[in-house]
Amino acid sequence: MTPTLTALGGGFRAEIQQLRRSRLLIVLTIAEAVTFLVLVSIFGLTGSHVPTAVVDRDGGRLARQWAQVMATSYHTYGVRYMNGRAAEQALGRGDVAAILWIPPGFSRHMASHRMIRIHFRVDNVNADLTTEAELGIPPVARAFGVANHFPGIRVVTAEKDLARHEVGFIPYLVVSALALAAFVVAGTLAASAVAREFESRTLAYLRLSPTHPLVPIAGRLLATAAVSAGAVTVAALLVVAGYGVVPDHPIEMAAALLLCVVIFSCIGAAIGTVVRRTQPLSALIFGLALALYLDSGSLEPARFYGNRLWVVAHTSPVYYAVGIIQQAVHEIQVTPETAPVNFAALIGWALLAAGAAWLGLRRAVVA
Amino acid sequence: MTEEAEVPRNVTMANGLAPALVPDAGAAELRGDRHQPGATAALASPVVRLADVSCRRGRRQALHRVSLEVQPAQVTGVLGPNGAGKSTLLGVVAGLYRPFEGAAWVLGEHLPARGPGLRRRIGVVLQETALYEELTVAENLRLTAALYSLARAAPRITEVLELIDLADRANDVVARLSGGLRRRVTLARSLLHQPELLIIDEPTLGIDAEARHAVWQHIRLLRTRGTTVIVASNYLDEVQALCDTAAVLHEGRLVTHETPEHLVAQAGQCLDLDCAADATAGITDLVLTLPGVSRVEASSSGLTVFLRGNADPDDIVREVLQRAHIGGFRVRAADLAEVFRVLDPAGKG
Repeated sequence: MTPTLTALGGGFRAEIQQLRRSRLLIVLTIAEAVTFLVLVSIFGLTGSHVPTAVVDRDGGRLARQWAQVMATSYHTYGVRYMNGRAAEQALGRGDVAAILWIPPGFSRHMASHRMIRIHFRVDNVNADLTTEAELGIPPVARAFGVANHFPGIRVVTAEKDLARHEVGFIPYLVVSALALAAFVVAGTLAASAVAREFESRTLAYLRLSPTHPLVPIAGRLLATAAVSAGAVTVAALLVVAGYGVVPDHPIEMAAALLLCVVIFSCIGAAIGTVVRRTQPLSALIFGLALALYLDSGSLEPARFYGNRLWVVAHTSPVYYAVGIIQQAVHEIQVTPETAPVNFAALIGWALLAAGAAWLGLRRAVVA
Repeated sequence: MTEEAEVPRNVTMANGLAPALVPDAGAAELRGDRHQPGATAALASPVVRLADVSCRRGRRQALHRVSLEVQPAQVTGVLGPNGAGKSTLLGVVAGLYRPFEGAAWVLGEHLPARGPGLRRRIGVVLQETALYEELTVAENLRLTAALYSLARAAPRITEVLELIDLADRANDVVARLSGGLRRRVTLARSLLHQPELLIIDEPTLGIDAEARHAVWQHIRLLRTRGTTVIVASNYLDEVQALCDTAAVLHEGRLVTHETPEHLVAQAGQCLDLDCAADATAGITDLVLTLPGVSRVEASSSGLTVFLRGNADPDDIVREVLQRAHIGGFRVRAADLAEVFRVLDPAGKG
C-alpha cells in the first residue's frame, strides 16, 4: 500500500473510532434524518386541506352529493359532517376553519333547477386559509352543476398530463426531505470533522508528518460520508416502507442520494474550514438547510413561485439535488434543467466546495 | 549539490567569528561521564545549523539573525522568557516556519528543500498536546503510524508505550488523561518513527512535579540512546537538569549559547537575608562593600543579596552577623531573570 493510501486509511479509521465512541451523536444523526420526514409530513398535512364543517339540514341525495364534491375537491376541503351546534363550537375552538350550511329544501330546489342560498361562514383568522376556502366554492358549484346537468353549465376538460402520473403532496415532500437530510447529516458530520482539527490544533501536528495533511483529513471525510450514507439510507428505507413511496428507479435514487452525501460532505468541509469551531456548526447548517430547502422546489417545483425566487433557487445546491431525487423516485422533472444538467451543477458545487475547503485548509496549514 | 558542499565551510566561518556561540569546551571536560557524548559529538557534523536566521511571525520579527549549532546526541536547551522566540526557533527547525533571512540546515538538508524524507527523521512535541481527545492512546499512535507509513506498527507502538511507561494506559481515551500523561503521550507519538532529532517545546508545561521528573527521565533516556534533542524551556532548573548546552534567547536574539553550569555560574547565587525593616539600610551599605556582591534588593522578608559566581555566601553571612542582627538566611540558585540581568547588564534583558 502506498504511504498516501495508508494515511488515508489511518484518517478513515481514526474518524470511525471517534464516531464509534460518540454513539449518541450517531443515534441523533440518524434520528435527525428521520425527523425531517416527520417534519415535512406534518407540514404537508397542515397545509393541504381547509378543515370545513358541513351541516346538512336537508339530508337529501343532492345535499349529500354536494358535500361529496366538496370533499373530493383536490387539496381544498377537509370535510367533517356535524350538527349546527357542534360546528359552531368547533369553529369557536379553531377545530374547523369554516362551516357550510346546506339549507332544508336544497335537494328539492336543485332537482327543479331553482336557485337557493347556501350560507358559508369562514374564520378569517388565517388570511391564506380564508382565501383558499372562498376560492374553492365556485369550482365545487361548477363540478356539482356539471354532474347534475344543470342548464347553462358546460365545461369540457381536455387534460393532457405532462407527468406520467400525479404525485401526492406528502410523497413529494418526503422525497425532497431526503435531500435535506443528506445536507444536514453529511454537512454537519463533515464540518465537525474538519472544525475539530482546528479546535484540537491537530492540524499543525499533521503538517509535521511526512504525509500531506489533507490526506488524513480526506480519510476522515470519507468516514463521515460513510456514516451519513448510512443515516440517509435509514431515512430512505422509511420513505419506502413507512410512506409507501416506491422509487421508479431505485438504483438511480441510491446513486443520487450517494452523490448528495458526497457533495454535501464537501460543502460541510468548506463550512468547517471557515467556522473552525464545532459548537455553532449544527445550528448554522440547520439554519442554512431549511432556507435552502424551502427555496429549492422542495415543497413544489420552484418555478411555480415566480422568476425571482426561481433565480435565487438556482444558487442552492439543494435545488439540483431535489430535481435529481424527484426524477429518480417519482420520475417527474421538477426543474427546467434535465437530470444530467442537475448532476453537472451538483458536481460543480461539490468541486467548488472541495476547492474552498482545500484552500481554507491549505491556508491554515501554511499559517 | 554544490551549494550543500559549500555549506559547512560557511557555517564554520560564521562560528569562528562568533566564539561566544560555541559551548565552553573546558567546562564540558569537567562534567565527567554525563558530558562525554557532547564532547565527542563536537567533532561530528552538527545536526542543526542556523546561520543568521531571521523569521517573522505576522508583523513581529520573532527571530533576529540567530546563529546556532546543535551537536548530535546532545540535549540542547533553548531558554528564554515568553515571547523570546523559542517556539519560533523550534518551528524553523521543525519546518513549521520558513526563515526569511539567513540559512538553516537540519540533518544535513537545507531547510527550504525539506520534504517528507526529512520530516520522517524529525519528531516534534508541540507546546499544545494536539491529540485526538476522543481516541485512545493506542489509537492516536496508530494514526501516527499510518501518517509515517510505519511497517510493523503494532510492535513498535507497544515498544514506545513501554518506553514511556504508558503500556497500561494504551486503551484509555485521551480526554480522560491528566495533563502529565497527555504530555507523555505526545512524547510517545513523537518517538514512534524513531526520529534522529527530537524537538520538544516546553516539555513540562502545566504538569505537576512528579510528571515533570518522569518526562525529564524519558528525555535523558533518549539522550543515552543517541537521539539529539532540542528542548525549549522557561525554566533554568529544567535546562540545568536536562541539557548539555543552553541557547539563551531574548526578544528574538541569541544572547548566549553555553553549558548550563557556566550559565548558572555566571548568574551566581542569591542570598536571602531575613531582617527587620529598619535594619535593611545599614545591612545594605555593609553588604555592598563586601567582595563578590553584585547588588542588593529589598524583599518581603528583608534583603536579597546577589552574588557573583566566585563569591562564597558563608563569608557574606559571617560578615553580616558580626555587625548586624538577622533572623535567618537562605542560599538559592539564581533564576532566569537574574541570568538575563547578568547577560544584559545594560538592562535590555
